[in-house]
Formats: sequence, structure tokens, C-alpha cells
Amino acid sequence: MAQRLALQRLLSLPARGPLASHSRAFGTSAGRRSTFNVQDGSDFQDRVVNSPKPVVVDFHAQWCGPCKILGPRLEKLVSKLEGKVLMAKVDIDDHTDLAIEYEVSAVPTVLAMKNGDVVDKFVGVKDEDQLEAFLKKLIGA
Amino acid sequence: MGSTLRKSQAVRQAPGGAPPERRSPAGGFFSGLTSSEQNWQFCLYQQEMLLPRLTLYWSGNAFILAPAVMITGLFAELAELNRLVGNHPQLFFSWVSFLLGGAPKLREGQREAAAETSQPVVSVRKKQIGDHERTLKAHKEEDNPQKTMEVNGLTPVPDSYDYDLIVIGGGSGGLAAAKEAAKYEKKVMVLDFVKPTPQGSSWGLGGTCVNVGCIPKKLMHQAALLGQALQDSRKFGWQFTEEVEHNWMTMTESVQNYIGSLNWGYRVALRDKKVTYENAYGEFVGPHTIKATNKKGIEKLYTAERFIIATGERPRYLGIPGDKEYCISSDDLFSLPYCPGKTLVVGASYVALECAGFLAGLGLDVTVMVRSILLRGFDQDMANRIGEYMKEHGVNFIREFVPVKIERVEEGTPGVLKVTAKSTAGDQMIEGEYNTVLLAIGRDPCTRKIGLDKVGVNINEKTGKIPVNDVEQTNVPYIYAIGDILQDKLELTPVAIQAGRLLVQRLYAGATTKCDYVNVPTTVFTPLEYGACGYAEETAMEKFGEENIEVYHSHFWPLEWTVPSRDNNKCYAKIICNIQDNERVIGFHVLGPNAGEVTQGFAAAIKCGLTKEQLDNTVGIHPVCAELALKTVTLVGRQVKTGIATGIDLPLMSGLSGYGHSPALAGVFEEESVKEKSLWPFCCVVSLPKATWPLSNPTRTKRPVADLPRLSPPGASRSDGGKEYPELEAIHKDHQGPTPGPAQNSPKSGTRVEFKGFSLSHTINLI
Repeated sequence: MAQRLALQRLLSLPARGPLASHSRAFGTSAGRRSTFNVQDGSDFQDRVVNSPKPVVVDFHAQWCGPCKILGPRLEKLVSKLEGKVLMAKVDIDDHTDLAIEYEVSAVPTVLAMKNGDVVDKFVGVKDEDQLEAFLKKLIGA
Repeated sequence: MGSTLRKSQAVRQAPGGAPPERRSPAGGFFSGLTSSEQNWQFCLYQQEMLLPRLTLYWSGNAFILAPAVMITGLFAELAELNRLVGNHPQLFFSWVSFLLGGAPKLREGQREAAAETSQPVVSVRKKQIGDHERTLKAHKEEDNPQKTMEVNGLTPVPDSYDYDLIVIGGGSGGLAAAKEAAKYEKKVMVLDFVKPTPQGSSWGLGGTCVNVGCIPKKLMHQAALLGQALQDSRKFGWQFTEEVEHNWMTMTESVQNYIGSLNWGYRVALRDKKVTYENAYGEFVGPHTIKATNKKGIEKLYTAERFIIATGERPRYLGIPGDKEYCISSDDLFSLPYCPGKTLVVGASYVALECAGFLAGLGLDVTVMVRSILLRGFDQDMANRIGEYMKEHGVNFIREFVPVKIERVEEGTPGVLKVTAKSTAGDQMIEGEYNTVLLAIGRDPCTRKIGLDKVGVNINEKTGKIPVNDVEQTNVPYIYAIGDILQDKLELTPVAIQAGRLLVQRLYAGATTKCDYVNVPTTVFTPLEYGACGYAEETAMEKFGEENIEVYHSHFWPLEWTVPSRDNNKCYAKIICNIQDNERVIGFHVLGPNAGEVTQGFAAAIKCGLTKEQLDNTVGIHPVCAELALKTVTLVGRQVKTGIATGIDLPLMSGLSGYGHSPALAGVFEEESVKEKSLWPFCCVVSLPKATWPLSNPTRTKRPVADLPRLSPPGASRSDGGKEYPELEAIHKDHQGPTPGPAQNSPKSGTRVEFKGFSLSHTINLI
């Protein structure tokens, strides 16, 4: 149902839609996109697990209010790092198997992944300072 | 030896005349021997003769034994032969061959039967199919190779199952049962699949209640109530200059977001409890075996020791042109991506009235098309009151009409639809244009396409419901059923949950408690909420007899509604007591705000066997509506004659508002002679809003419903002879609800005096 509503919104919006705009707004300067939406399991495997750079995985849902706050905030900070960290967004309704695999029970859940391993994780909205510290730890460690 | 004997034969002449030992006469075997000598000789003789005797004995027996052995051997041979070749005709022929040619012939026959031309020789279920060639032939020729597995037409049951329990249906009942079973370390699977509606709506895990039932309904009902509260708030001092409007999309999005979180929550809960969940359509294909088809069409087979069917129901369609293409149902309403606009609601079930109620509360133009009575199965007096309230709050009712055709006049979301309807009491036809047509004419169980015939589960062919015994078991011992699909049981979420949990506890935890379907409380969330527990008035009268029933009732005005001067004398409470059983409360009905909250506590009390006396002894909480339900009042004295007690409304200020009973009024509740007490000082009859002017007839006869404007002529006979929707008969089997009650009119009871409760402040205004 959430999908149906989202579809309606997508169609009714004159612009390209919220999801597309996110990935376009950030990374256009560098020509690379540091934030992307995971398409399926193999896409996750390629771009997250096998990624040479550390990846922040944001598990979110359409029906989740706090996700809508955390998402943009995290993206902003990730883009500031100019490619040192990538960010993957996973909609848990679309990719339930991935969510179950990584034991996501509440959203938003953010995983920090390096070389295919989960090195850090948090659940719920955090403010910018906490997010910065989280990202610094991921790059530094 | 003889000489020895002989020597002893020399008889010693015993001195003194001892008698000599007797000797046997000469000749014969024992000749000339004394008796002791004879005994000795006989023993010796036996010894000698032992071996010859045994030989004789056994050789005699051999004559009997040998044939017996032979015959036993023969039987064994024949049995072997039978086993090798199967079926009965062979046995006969094998006898014949034995009789004709003896054992050698038999052996020849055996050899032929068992002769194979190639290896391996395959046996299936102790029956020999044959050699390699014959086996392949059997497999290819059979349409269903499974048949070779069948014994007496039944496929054998695997000895170990994939799961202990498979639950078909992930709704209220199914999930509760699955989670409970997982607690007892059982291997459980839940199959849940939603077939999209004709309009394309679908939803996630959780069933009807969570997705398209109780949850979104209550949230939207709350949205409507808030609208009303906003209007009231001005009187309470809130100031806002703009007009307040409602945005359908905002509300729907919020509701759907919450439902999404519930769907996810259920998935996590199942995962945590290690219950396997498959989003797949479950169908029985054989004993203990189910086929699960997911949305990509991939099929998997699973077996389980036990099954619970909890597939629930889906809305029924009218079966008229245009219904599936243009109409929506409750399955679509709660996720409708556009505001429904001017809506026609077809039906008079609680689904219809609740939806009509909140749509009207949100400011939409709503019409309800009713075929006959409102809320079939509920207390009809209360149902009529609900209808009245809705009518006064802007819901239009079209009584005794059914739609016959739906056409689209204009495209769009929502577009414009033209509805043609026919009267049930004549030939009159009417037309109307609406943006949306919402069908709420009933729900049908999802039991016809899940392969129940393959496992032999009986269903009621007409309604599709499954009859079960009092432990929720179907006619097939390892298949159980719970929830809305049960025949003659209540269609409520808490009932399904309770039944599911208790069933699993009985199966796996050795419990014996059965689900109690008696005195289950329920609430209808119409704009004026209605809570009930126990018997309806007409049902109680039918069951216990009119003279054994006492009905206590009162109107009340919630304090919160006084300031905005809203709807006085609409709220109503009624308690039905069984006089023969110590005036036990057997029915509780309340119409007013938060009726569900009020009813829940009373339901517990009724379960404990509440009597009227106990109710009277309970002190009320003030100022709340529930205390007014508590202090319901009845007719004062059954011997009331014509006069004062009838035909007036008596306000009871202090009594019902809880500031203590006034002694004078206390006398009012005495048995007799109401008219002797001067009640006139307490009557502010003239300034009271004229709500109910009851009975002119004081004797204990049927109460004419002079006070309630009739929604349809009482006792109107329908021209179609009471048939159900004739259009539906060809397509749907008619669903008969619980007892409609002896009359569609008001309940029959003794005379009553209506008492109203007012708050003190109101009284002060009046005095």
C-alpha cells in the first residue's frame, strides 16, 4: 500500500521524483554518485559488499517518519566527504530478504560496511554531530 | 530272578500265627508273587516298555501331524504366490493349479508370476509393479503417477513431515496461533497471500483487521471525530479564523504509514519467534500436503502434521453490471489515492454504517442504500437509534432499494458514476450520480479455492463457512479452522486470536480450555458509537420469555456535549436482566462516545455473573458517561396505572449526576404509587427538549414505538416475499446473519418511564 501511494506521488509530481532527485543532487560535481539506491540482491553484492570503499547502508521504509529526516541528513554529510564513503539506500519493503539477512528489525537502521563486513551500526535518528563522528570513525578505522 | 522268588516262597511259619502274605495264583505274569513283589515287578515292566511305547505313540501322532504340516506348507506357498502376483484372482488360479497338478504345478505358476526379464524389479507399497520395462510403462501411461502410490484411493502419508504446523492465512487468528505454537518449540510455517481486489489494491502481512479493517477504520473514525471536536472547540474558547477543511491524502498517507509499520512489525515478530513465513497462496493437494504458489508463480510443496485454516473473508460484490469495474469495497477504501467525493454506500452492515459515518464526518456527501433493516443481528432498537443519529448528522438514507446497474458517466479520479436502483417493495426505479460507490453488502469466506475438497474438509456449500466442533476441529482430524470462516461463530479479531491461542495450547501444551463464544463484547464505531455485550432485547425475550425479562434503561447527555449544546438525549444505555436468575445481567447496550471503552469493563463483569443488585451497589465514577450507564433506571413498578408515570420525562438531577440521591426521588424507585409522590416540582417538562415521549399504554404490553420516527413502515411486507436480493441468487449464496429478531420494530417490553440524566449545571439553567 505504501508502494501504491508512493507511485501515485511519483506520477503526480511534475519533477522527476524525490528518489531520483536525491541521487542527482549529490555527486554531480564530482561526476560520481556517492549515494545510490540498491536495486536488488546482486546489486547489493557488487556495490556494497565488494566495494573497495567503505559503504554506509541506510535501511529505510516509505512509512517511516524518522527515516525521512535521517536520510537527507546522512546524505548531506556523505557528500561532504567527496567520495571517501559511499551510501547505499535499501527500502526494506522492496528488499525484505536483504533486511532480514542483516537482521533489521526497526528503521532507520544504518550499517557501516567495510570490505563486506559490518563494522558499525546504529538504529534511529541521530543528529549531525553524532553522524559526523560515525562517518569519521568509518573512514579512520 | 525266579529262583530268588522261589526261595522267598519258602514261607516262614511265623510263630504265633502271623498271617502269611497273599500270593497271586500260579500262571500269568505275576504268578506266585506277593503284592509288594507285584508292584516292584510292575515298575520294572514299565521301565522296560518305555521306549517301545514312545515309539508307538509318536508314530501314531506322525500320522496326524504330517498332513497338518503339509497343509500348512501349502498355505504358505499359496500365500507366497499371492504376494508375488498380488490380487485375488491369482489365488483362485493357484488353488486350481495345485488341485490339478499338485505342488510342482504350483511352483511352476509361481515361477511364471515372478519371472522377470530385466532388473531392477520395482515394488511400490508392497505391490510389485514389475521389472524395469513394466515400471517405465506404468509411469508413462499413468496421467498421475501418484496413483501408483495410492492405496484404496488415498495417497500414503509420509512418515515425517516438513513442519509440525502450517497455518494458512496470516491474519489475526493465524498469526496468533503461529506465534503461540512457536513458543512450544514447534516448527511452524505461515502462508499469507492477498489476491488483489478488482481495483488492484493489495496489502502486506497482518490480515484484514490490520490492513483493511479495524485499524484503518478506527483511525479514520477518529479523524471524523476530531473534525467534530474542532467544531465544538470554539465553544470551549479555541479561536481560529479559517474554516477547517479536511485533506484525504494526508490522512490516508498517515494511516498507511502506520499500517506499513505494523506489517513490518509482524514480519519481525515471526522471524524472532522462528516461524517460517511465505508470501504464497496455500492450497491443499493431498493428505497432509499443501502447495504454496508465490506471486511469481513458483510452486512449492510442504507437508505438515497439522493444519490451521485461517483464511478469512473478502467483500462480496453485487453481481450486477458495472460492479467490479467501477465500485470499490472496504478493501480499497482505506488506501484510496484520491478523495472519494460524493459517495453511495450500498449495504446496512456495520461496515457500511461505519464507513458512511466517517466519510460524512469528514465532510463528504454520503448516501446509504439499504435493502431492508440496519445492522442485522444486532439489537434493532439500538440499530434504529444509530440510523436516526446518522440521519440527523447529514447522512442520507435510501431505504428498501437495491442497485441494479452501475455505469460510468465521467472518467477521472474519482469520476462520476450513475447508479440505477430498483425498489424492493415495488417496481419503482431511481437513478443517482455519485463520485464513488462503496459496496458493503457482506463478506464471503475464502474457502472455495484452497483445495478443501482434496482433503475432504466439509464446508457449508451455501455460505462457504466451515463447520467445526467445540475444539475448532473440522471433520478431518488433523485440520483445524479459526476466525471469520467458522460457521455460527462471531466474526471478531479478538475472538479469532483467543480461539487460535487456546487451540494451540490444547494441541501442544496439554491444556483443555475451550474458546468461550458467549458474552463476547463488541462495538460498532458509527458516529454515535454503540457497545454491546450479551443478548439483544428481542433475542432475550424470545429465549427467556417476555415476562422473565426486565429491561432497565436511560438516556444520558455526556458532559462534554453540554457546552457545545450538542445532541442531548441521544445517548442511551440499556441493561437486560433475567428475573428468574436473580436478575442476572444478560445484555448490556450503550450508545454514546467511547462506547468501546465503556463496554469492556461491563463485559468482564457480565462474565463474572453480574446481577442487577451488584450493579446497583457499585458506586459510579463522576462525571463520566459510564456511570450513567450504570445507574440505568427502569419502569417504576409494574403495577403502574395510567397517569403520571407515563407520558412524562422525569429529569433526575441529583440522582443521576451522582450528587447523591434525593430522598424524595429515592421514593420514586419504590414499587408502587408513583403518582402519589408529588413529582411535579422536579419536572421541567416544558423546557426539556422533546426526545422521547413514551408510552400511552401503561400495561405490560408491547411498547408502541411512538417515540422513534419509523425508518420504514412497521411490519411492511415486502413484495418479493422476503426473498434476498433476487439478482444475487444466481451468483452468490445468500448469507443469513444471526437471528434477526422477532420484529424489525422496537423491542417488546413492559411499560417504561423514561428518565434522563442532566448535569447539575444544566439543571441550574433550567430552574
